Amino acid sequence: MTEEKKINIVLAGQGNSGKSTIFNYLTGLHQHIGNWPGKTIEKLEGTLYYKGYTVDVLDLPGIYSLTTYSVEEKISREYIISQKPDFVINIIDSTNLERSLIFTLQLLELQCPVIIALNMVDLAKKKGITIDSHKFQEIINVPVIRTVASRGFGLTDLIDKAIEVKDQKREFRTRLYGKEIEKGISELSGLLREIDLPYPQRWTAIKLLEKDSEITTMVRNLNPGILDTAGKLCASLEEMHGHDSSLIIADERSHHASQISREIVNVLPHRKATLSDRLDAVTTHKVSGYLVMILILGGMFMTVFSLGNWLSGLFDSLFASWHQWWTENAGITFLASIGWAAIESILALVQIALPYILPFYIFLYILEDWGYIARISFLMDNLMHKMGIHGKGCISFIIGFGCNVPGCLSCRIMETKRERFITAVLVTFIPCSAVSVIIFGLVGKYVGLLWAFGLYVFAMALILLIGKISSKLVPGEPVELIMPMPDYKTPHVATILSQTWEALKEFIFIAAPIVIISGVIIQAINLAGWMPAISDFISPVTVAWLGLPAVTGILLIFGVLRKELILVMLAAFLGTTNFSEALSSQQMMTLAVVSMFYVPCVATISVLWKDYGWKRAMAVCLIEIVFAIILAGIVSRLLNFVF
Amino acid sequence: MEAGKKEYSVADLEDNTNAIIIEIRGGKKAAKRLADLGLKPGAEVRAIRQALFSGPVQIEVNGSRLVLGRGLAEKIIVEQK
Repeated sequence: MTEEKKINIVLAGQGNSGKSTIFNYLTGLHQHIGNWPGKTIEKLEGTLYYKGYTVDVLDLPGIYSLTTYSVEEKISREYIISQKPDFVINIIDSTNLERSLIFTLQLLELQCPVIIALNMVDLAKKKGITIDSHKFQEIINVPVIRTVASRGFGLTDLIDKAIEVKDQKREFRTRLYGKEIEKGISELSGLLREIDLPYPQRWTAIKLLEKDSEITTMVRNLNPGILDTAGKLCASLEEMHGHDSSLIIADERSHHASQISREIVNVLPHRKATLSDRLDAVTTHKVSGYLVMILILGGMFMTVFSLGNWLSGLFDSLFASWHQWWTENAGITFLASIGWAAIESILALVQIALPYILPFYIFLYILEDWGYIARISFLMDNLMHKMGIHGKGCISFIIGFGCNVPGCLSCRIMETKRERFITAVLVTFIPCSAVSVIIFGLVGKYVGLLWAFGLYVFAMALILLIGKISSKLVPGEPVELIMPMPDYKTPHVATILSQTWEALKEFIFIAAPIVIISGVIIQAINLAGWMPAISDFISPVTVAWLGLPAVTGILLIFGVLRKELILVMLAAFLGTTNFSEALSSQQMMTLAVVSMFYVPCVATISVLWKDYGWKRAMAVCLIEIVFAIILAGIVSRLLNFVF
Repeated sequence: MEAGKKEYSVADLEDNTNAIIIEIRGGKKAAKRLADLGLKPGAEVRAIRQALFSGPVQIEVNGSRLVLGRGLAEKIIVEQK
């Protein structure tokens, strides 16, 4: 019987270190990678079969510091400590060595077996940076391998090294802090030996001196006495240095990182400004930066929408012929209609996914891989701050114009739960492509283009206002933007395609179930003949308050499925697409305002549900319904003075 | 404003000038986060540029570029070289 040869590897590194690229190379699995700092959030697993070994590879989120700051970091730290992988491969961005080193030092404190991948050595060379990897290896006493992940260079060496040193006994070289800190560490380690913790004592002692809240709580539960000692030690350190003890330790760590970096890094002075530098200067400039942004985003939206409308039209006629085939073969029975409602929900999803979301994502990931998305965050941070969130939220807004579903999903890049939720709620107010169909098909065509654009301006102003209010209402502190500015680089086609595919898949999988179920339910209600009763029931709102025809009640119910149905069904009920015959300008404006804001579509609701729980999702829906109805009623009355 | 020595923060720096950090103001959490990025007293920073209307600040520290929100940049007190 042969023993199974297994190696268990965790990839850890900061955002943009090339970690995801390495993961993809090793496992052949696809996942979301990007030039968008700290983006990988859920951990990803993959398996590699190599030289008779089964190598399990796990990708952890981008980490800035191993001390619990946000949820992602906590997952990583917990994983490394509790799962005890055979190796942690620490991927270092060679162009940002010193910053990466701080994290490396923290990893070494965890006393886990580390192999270092010195990545992007090619880019570093271009910037005039050379690193002495042998000396580096000597200093920190763990293997260092030079890699260029984007070209697959050095990656098999990593695994070879892991296999080679797997059974060797490793010694952890302890890096010493200043005398007083070390005294504190050894005193605490002594006390910690008495209690049963899954973590190394030295590491736990350091964390106690750093006042890490999670570790502090954990120790308090086991032996509160230790915390008294820790508190005294912190206080005496603080008295000596005049800073908070957590800062003293961070300071020493980063000082140590600078020391190592000075010994192994050689930078050629007076290098020429690279193309990336010059591009950066133009695209983040106070004037030209905004002009370029308007051009790029404007061009993107125009291309996506014109392409999307054309493709969507093609699908329309194709699906109409399928419907005909269905009715001919399945007949016109209750069940057949319900069946078609289910099929149609899927088709409609495809009709949004392929013509609009696919090209949109491709554009977005090109910009992201190129490095432009971080520039947008930089340019827009100021404005986003007025809404209580920071520049990264802007990305979700841009995506939201295409479709609210991926817009809400992308809020995961925000650091805190509070930021994530506020951004997601604001995204639901962004007019997506379906709402744009209503705005242009109704208001743009029959009231005037200026009015249509006015509605966009109105939506943006409203988002600003709601952002301001919700940043006050939602508890917690706003987070300031801290974001590494990546260098521009040539977009990598395979990466862009795999990201697009993953994003599209996520969209379909999250949206599909709830879209089909609600499509079937609403169709069943319709076939049972309850719709007129329902529209009568809500007529005090639709007719009396909003001044719309009673039939709009039914439209708004179907609109929850997907908003463009409001326009499609309006045409069906009226028996004409010339809406001006049946509705006044004032009514069209009112209907557009209600449609824009009254509720997120079911697909968006399902994302809110998944990411923030059903309570918050339902609360958002209810508040938006009430809000939109009140708002549209007021708008309708105000328009009395205009039309 | 009272007479006396004027304090500069990273946000006050002219584009393309270097300075040494002398103090980090504000909360522990922010200071810790900055320290983990190499922004600590004694470190040299280079102001690259700022966004429109007193927006965020782009800086270089230890050879890597960072963007900091304005409020955060104002907490980093520097001494011009």
